Order: sequence, then C-alpha cells, then structure tokens
Amino acid sequence: MHKRAYATVVAASGAVALLVSGCGGGGSSTGGSTGAAAPATTSSTTTTAAASPTTTGAPKRDANADLVIWTDADRAQAVTKYADAFGQENGVTVAVQISTDVRQQFKDATKVGQGPDVIVGAHDWLGELVQNATVAPINLSPDVTAKLAPNAVAATKFNGQTYGVPYAVENIALMRNTALAPDAPTTMDQLVAEGTKIKDASGGKVTNVLIQQVGKTGNAYYSYPYLAAYGGGIFATKANGDYDSTKLLVDSAGSLKGAAELAKLGKSKVLSTNVGDDNAEALFDAGKAPFFITGPWAQTNAKKAGIKYAVSNLPSLAGGGPMEPFLGVQMFYVSAKAKNPTIAQEFVTNYVTREDVQMALFEATGRPPALTTAYEKAAAEDPMVKAFYEAGKNGKPMPNIPAMNSVWGPLGQAAADVISGADPTSRFTAAQKEIAANIAKG
Amino acid sequence: MSTDLKPTTPVEQGPPPPARPLGRGTVRAPLWATVTKWVLIALAVLLGAYLVQRVISAGYGIGVVVVAVVVMAVVAVYSTRRAVPMKYLLPGLVLLLALQVWPIVYTVATAFTNYGDGHAVSKEEATRSIIANSVQEVPGTPRYRMSVAVPAGSSPDTGDLALLLTDPQGKSYVGTSKGLKDLPSDGVSKTVTGKITAAKGWTILTARQVNARKDLANLAVPTSDGGGIKPVGLSEAFVGKTTIVYDAAKDTLTNTTTGKVYVPRNAFWVPQDGQGDAFPTGWKENVGLKNFSTLLTNETIRAGFLSIFVWNVVFAVVSVGSTFLLGMLLALLFDDNRIKGRKVYRSILILPYAIPGFVTALLWRSMFNQDFGLINNLTGLDVDWLGNPWAAKAAILLTNLWLGFPYMFLVCTGALQSIPGDVREAAKIDGASPFRTLRSIIMPLLLVAVGPLLIASFAFNFNNFGLIYLLTKGGPYESADTSIGSSDLLITYAFRLAFSGVTPNYGLASTVSIFIFVIVALMSYAGFRRTKNLEEVN
Repeated sequence: MHKRAYATVVAASGAVALLVSGCGGGGSSTGGSTGAAAPATTSSTTTTAAASPTTTGAPKRDANADLVIWTDADRAQAVTKYADAFGQENGVTVAVQISTDVRQQFKDATKVGQGPDVIVGAHDWLGELVQNATVAPINLSPDVTAKLAPNAVAATKFNGQTYGVPYAVENIALMRNTALAPDAPTTMDQLVAEGTKIKDASGGKVTNVLIQQVGKTGNAYYSYPYLAAYGGGIFATKANGDYDSTKLLVDSAGSLKGAAELAKLGKSKVLSTNVGDDNAEALFDAGKAPFFITGPWAQTNAKKAGIKYAVSNLPSLAGGGPMEPFLGVQMFYVSAKAKNPTIAQEFVTNYVTREDVQMALFEATGRPPALTTAYEKAAAEDPMVKAFYEAGKNGKPMPNIPAMNSVWGPLGQAAADVISGADPTSRFTAAQKEIAANIAKG
Repeated sequence: MSTDLKPTTPVEQGPPPPARPLGRGTVRAPLWATVTKWVLIALAVLLGAYLVQRVISAGYGIGVVVVAVVVMAVVAVYSTRRAVPMKYLLPGLVLLLALQVWPIVYTVATAFTNYGDGHAVSKEEATRSIIANSVQEVPGTPRYRMSVAVPAGSSPDTGDLALLLTDPQGKSYVGTSKGLKDLPSDGVSKTVTGKITAAKGWTILTARQVNARKDLANLAVPTSDGGGIKPVGLSEAFVGKTTIVYDAAKDTLTNTTTGKVYVPRNAFWVPQDGQGDAFPTGWKENVGLKNFSTLLTNETIRAGFLSIFVWNVVFAVVSVGSTFLLGMLLALLFDDNRIKGRKVYRSILILPYAIPGFVTALLWRSMFNQDFGLINNLTGLDVDWLGNPWAAKAAILLTNLWLGFPYMFLVCTGALQSIPGDVREAAKIDGASPFRTLRSIIMPLLLVAVGPLLIASFAFNFNNFGLIYLLTKGGPYESADTSIGSSDLLITYAFRLAFSGVTPNYGLASTVSIFIFVIVALMSYAGFRRTKNLEEVN
C-alpha cells in the first residue's frame, strides 16, 4: 500500500487506513485491472524517461510546468520527445511524469487537485473516468477524425460525447512458433489436430497444444472471442452504437455455443486453468507450445527468447464464424480538473494526431497506430503490425461503460469453471444472473 | 492532511527541557541552549506559516485551524518553564493524532457515506460535469482557426477576451461575448493555416497568457442558432451547443433537445418518467447507517462475511500455532550445546525470513501450479492446489509456515538464551527429567517472553493481505459468486470492495474495516489478559 501513500492519506485514507497494517506493500497496481488490463500488465517496464526517474509511488505533480502529462514507463520517452517539441513551439514548459498505475493514481490525485493535465491510457477506463467526473470532452475537428481508424474513434465515445484522442489500436491474434508449426491453421479443429500431432511427436518437449491465459479465476478478455464467434457476446448495442448495460448476452444462444466450445477444449486439455498470466508467455517463449493466443505486447519477450514466430487471424470455430477479439484503443485523455486545460487541449488535438508522433509511439510500444497514414507506414515496416491489425479488423471495441466492471469477474470465473469441467449452459446462465445483479446494485 | 502535521517533528529533536531541581532556586541554562531553543521555536512557527499557506492554496480551511493549534501548542509548551511533562509528550501526541486518530476518524466518517466509484464528487461538481459533457458540435458549422486576444493597450491578464477567428474561406472575424463581428483586414497577418498572428487594435496573447486566463472556459461567442463559438486549445474554435440545463429552483436537469427532465434520486440524476438511462456521474452523500445495515442484512454479504470470518480466525490461529511450534522445536534443538556448527544452521534457517515475502509468495504460487509446479511434479500428486477450496487453504497455510517459522525460531532462540542457567541446573538437581524440565520450567518462562509476540503475530496474520493477494487473490471462487472467495480474509474482501471488483465502494469497505478493527481489538485484548495471567503465575 505504501505505493499510493501520498494520495491515499488524503483521498482514500478512510478505507485504506486500517488496511495498511495488513497490506505491508502488497496492494499495488491493482486498481480496476481485473481482466481488461491483460494487455497493460504484460508489457514490460524497461525504459526510463529523462523527465523523471521512476519511483514506486504516484508521481508528484510538477508545480512549475505549464502542462503535466502522466504515462507509464513504456511510452514516456516517446511522449517526452514530442512534448518537449510542443513546449518549444508554444513557449511553455512540459513535464512528462511516469506513473506506475495511471488509472488509479490519476483518479486518486485528481480527487485532491494534484492530478496531471493529460494522461495516456486505455479506452475502457472511460466510463469509470466519466462517472467520477475526472475527464473532459475533446472536440476533434471532423477533418482530423476522418484520418483516424473508425473503430478507434468509436472507442473514444461515451454517451455520445468524445473524450480522447486515440493513438493506437491493439487486439489479440494467433501467434505461432514457426519452428514447430510452419503453417497457420484457419479453424480451431485444424489447430487442435495439428498441435496435438506436434505435441505427440516432440517426445515431451512440447507440453501444450495452445497457450491461452485462463488462470484459476479465468479471463473474460481471452474468453470473449469464443462467444463472439457464434454471435454471442457480453452486451447488445444501442441504436447509437453504445453498449447497452441492460441487455446482457452472456446466456444468449451464441454465447452458450461458445461456452460449449470452451468446455470441449478444456476437456481435451487444450485449454487449462493452470495456464495463467504468470506462466503463459514463459511457456510459449520456452518453445513448449506451437500456438499462442496473445497480443502485440508478447512480441518483445518472444524476440528476446529467440522464438521465430508468425501472426495470423484467430481461427474459426466449428459451426460458427471466426473468433473475434476485443479491440483495445490507447488514447490521450484531458483531465476535467486540468490546471492548464487550454494547453492540454492544444496538445492532444494538434499534436497527438500528427503522423510523426503516432509513429514514435508505435516504435516505443509496437502497437499499430490509430492514424491511418501512420498505420500504413508501420505496416510496411513490420509485417506483424499488419497481421495483428488484420486479426482485429472485425473486432468490436472492448466495452467502455462502467457496467463492464461487473462483468470481468463473473464471466472470467464462468469460463474457468467451464474449462475445468462445469456444465456450460447452467454455468453461463448463473454468470448472467450474477452480472445482472451486480449491475442492478450499481 | 496528516502530512501537513508531520513537519512539526523537528521539535522532537529540540533541546531537552532544562532539568531543574525544584526548590533550590533557579539554575541558569547556558546561553547556547536558550538560543537554540528559541531558534527551533521560531523555525516551528515559520514552518507553520508555510504550511498554512500550502493548506490555504489547497483549499482546506479546517487545516489552517489545525496547524495554528499545533503551532500555538508548540510555542506555549516550549517557550515557558511550565508544563514539563508536556515538553516530552507533545511530539508523540501530535504524531498520534496525525497518524492514528485522524485516519480512524476519517474511516468512520467514510463509513457513513456512499463514497466510491460514481460517487466521488459533490453534487454541484457532478452537475457541472454533466453540463460540460453535454456540449455538442452543431452539425454543418465551420471550424475556425483561432487566436485569443485582448484590445490593444489593456492588460493580458484582465482585458476583455476576444477570439480572432478565420473561417475555412479565409474570412476573419472578432468574436466576443457579445457576438461575432467582421475583422477589418488592414494590419492583419496570418499563418498559412489561417491563424491570425497580428491585428490592428488587438494584442494577441501567448500560449502561457491564454492558459492563465481561467475565464476563457466560460467564453462562448453567441451565434444566431443558439449555440456558441468555443475555443479548442490554442488555435481552433468550433460552434457548440450545451444540451443540458440546470433548473436551480426545481432542482432538475433538462435536456433541451429531447425535453427529458431528470431528478436527483439515490445520488444520481435519473429521468423523471423512469424511462431511459440515468447520467453516469453521481455524487457523494451521507447515507447514515446504510452500509452497516447492508453488511448485516444482505444475505450474500452476511453469509460470505461469516464464512470469511471463520476462515480468517482459523488461518490466523493455525498460522501462529504452526509457525510457533516449528520455530520453537528448531530453537530447542539448536539450543543444545552439543550440536556443532549451530551458527551455520541458524543462519540457514533464517534465510526464508531474509528473502522478501513477495518473492517467496510468488515462487510458491508457481510451485503449486497443478501441471507445471514443482510440488505436484516431485510428489507425483495431481492436486489442484490453487483451484480447490480446501487445497488452496492448505497451500496458503504451508506457504505461511515457510514464511513465518524463521521469525518464531529467532524469538524463541533469544528467549531461550535469556533463561538463566541456574534454573535449569536447579531442576536437574531436583531430579527432573529433561522433558519435565522443558514442560514445567522452560515452557512457562518461554511463553512469558514470547506471549505478546504471539498476539502481535496473530494480529498481523489476521490481516495478512500480501500473502493471500499474491498466492490466490482470495480465490478460488465458488460458482456463481465472485464477490466472496474461499480463501479470502476480511482484509482482502474489504480491499476488493474498495479498489477493484464490481464498483469500488469506499463507504462499504470502511465499514468492513471498522468491523475488522473491532474484532482484532477484542481478540488482542483477550490475548493480553491471558499473558498477564501467565506473568502473575510466574
């Protein structure tokens, strides 16, 4: 807990004060990272920016700067470079500070008026941030909007209002170890057949057919594509494209078919609750599995481990369509309590949408840019960018409504239970009930 | 706010109050001591003044009073010769108030509110935010290139703000709060994009000057269709329209496009007719005893609370018992002089204590993995350690035994070494067997020494958040209820309520932590009473 000591004392000291004695430093960077943060938590934190050295606590707002930006360590360097250029152009000083848990630290610091002007983060935080009145709307001109990927723009909207400027789109795809599996399977049945052949022929070296994060508490992010393949999902959409928290699809016919597929794969030991966020990458990087369902963030370690890999679309499921992943969109938010709102708005609307900035952020994190021209450049540079983009072409943005917080736990657990043998129909019906009750509780 | 109080600690290092034998006339303190004393008091006052400034700028009126009281107390206590006991007590008292009493008061106060996600700000702020978020660009209107200016000759900080605008056709305007006027083209220079860089009769503000004008946020140049031209950043403006208005008299919000009326209910703005969605931003308000009654009456929470509580007590008791037994046995073993190389063994035994607990917990977590873990691989078992409720509990207790026994080993070793040799010798002479000596002489003496430590260890384990969180995160969850895990402690349960899970709810979590506080306090009290009895026997 000491990680958030500063903000905690003032903001959440109520709840935390008595917890402190028991935490002793354990409860860091948890925030709302229940399931959605799968992408975020797996990214490594190696780079350090020149702006401020990394500490374990929330950064202390630089009081002298005319613009304060909080970001994680991965992107800090790229953001700093362009923030400095922006500062010189406009005669202002900019401070880029590294936050170890942007989502929670931003919320806590903003409550006590010590928050930054701009943060960099994922689009699915949006509902929660609006709910707490911590982010301000952004008015991008229609010309600029047209240059961005439409699904990225859709993800920046909540209740019909735009709250962010997107710079990257990410999604999961099928990664394969080309030394083990030279060809990409197009259906799950093919994948299992081929993977099993490879496993049996390896003499114990290959232990898993497919690596996919499940874990004991499950993972809704990686389970969703199975539901979507049969037309199921989590929420139905409203007429204006927003997700409708009152129309749950977890026990719809399509979702139940997807759950049955998860059960089948669990029974044949292709999926297992013993593979989770703690060992998934390690298993693939040790060459113990030919196939891995993961996102662009896993490339760094795979390269380091010397794995030759290729990326293709998620396979399609028997009797259904192709698996469709959730899209995660990375974007810049402006704080509703920004001390420098004008400069902050100027930076995100005129700078983040520049091609060179989007390219720099792409090079720092490997996520395909949201700006179409930048994406085309990046795709020409790196075929994997194109492969990941293609895999997510039909995907829907991860819901950014606050009700999604009620989904991660129950849906993940239902998937884990089904994979370890529970009856898919009754388990997913129960999960739907639990989610509906949680949403009703608000 | 407690951080504001901390800096008074330098007083602690101040000069000790001069010892003064009473009734023997006054002994003059040396000059340097008097000077140092007054310098330190002056420093404390200065520090107080500085803190007051900071507190005011942060907007906490009550903080000023607190700082003032503390500073006055410092001056009153240390500047006179009276109140000698207070000279020693004051620093401790201030820290006690700041670090112990204040958080408890804050926790209790929070327990009576609905503070949490969606209820984080005041009603005014939530309403303001909803209105600000309702601004929509009027379709079909142009985007202007913009510069912010004040009339030439007036101050950039206070002059009437104006927007110098250029529409996509290249025509320039001056926009003020009164409306839009044409800008005469003489003396106007523009960049290639159309942003005006100079105009006769106007002073164009720099980025920093614009940023300093907080009133810019309220500026909207009225247009004929009821919208307003508003700036976006430093160089662009759009025509926007606010679609939500607040009616202070009726305390309602109205959507001007759809005519829908919203009323406040349960700290949210909800549609009056009950159709459609409420606004997502709610506010913080007092809810009285609602959190307490939820905890006591909600079926799921109550049943869960009870099972969590039982497991919490079992966990703490078994953890303390098992670690103490193992630690004591090892301590007794290595207390024997005949063992060679005891120092080496002792150092090795302390190793688990020296490795950070988080590393150990994560390591054990991977060792407990059913397919890839060391434990199943070595023993040939196929136990689903972290997926089966009972196995998970066993796994937690095993890990905690590993983590905790070195501590018990250390304190028992120390306590054994402090037992005087003549007591043992006397027992030997009286013909007591070694076992009898252990049972009747050594154990009681040992327990007197380590009894309070056992209670402390119990209290620590009762709230052993880190271990549970790193090992199982409270799971596995019994089907269809992911709010209550089978290895949850009250503290991990409270943490999930407050910071993750469904909707973070600080109010409810504070209520849970009050319950935990009471439970631990009662148990510790009972425990200390028992050790006191032990001492009396002795």
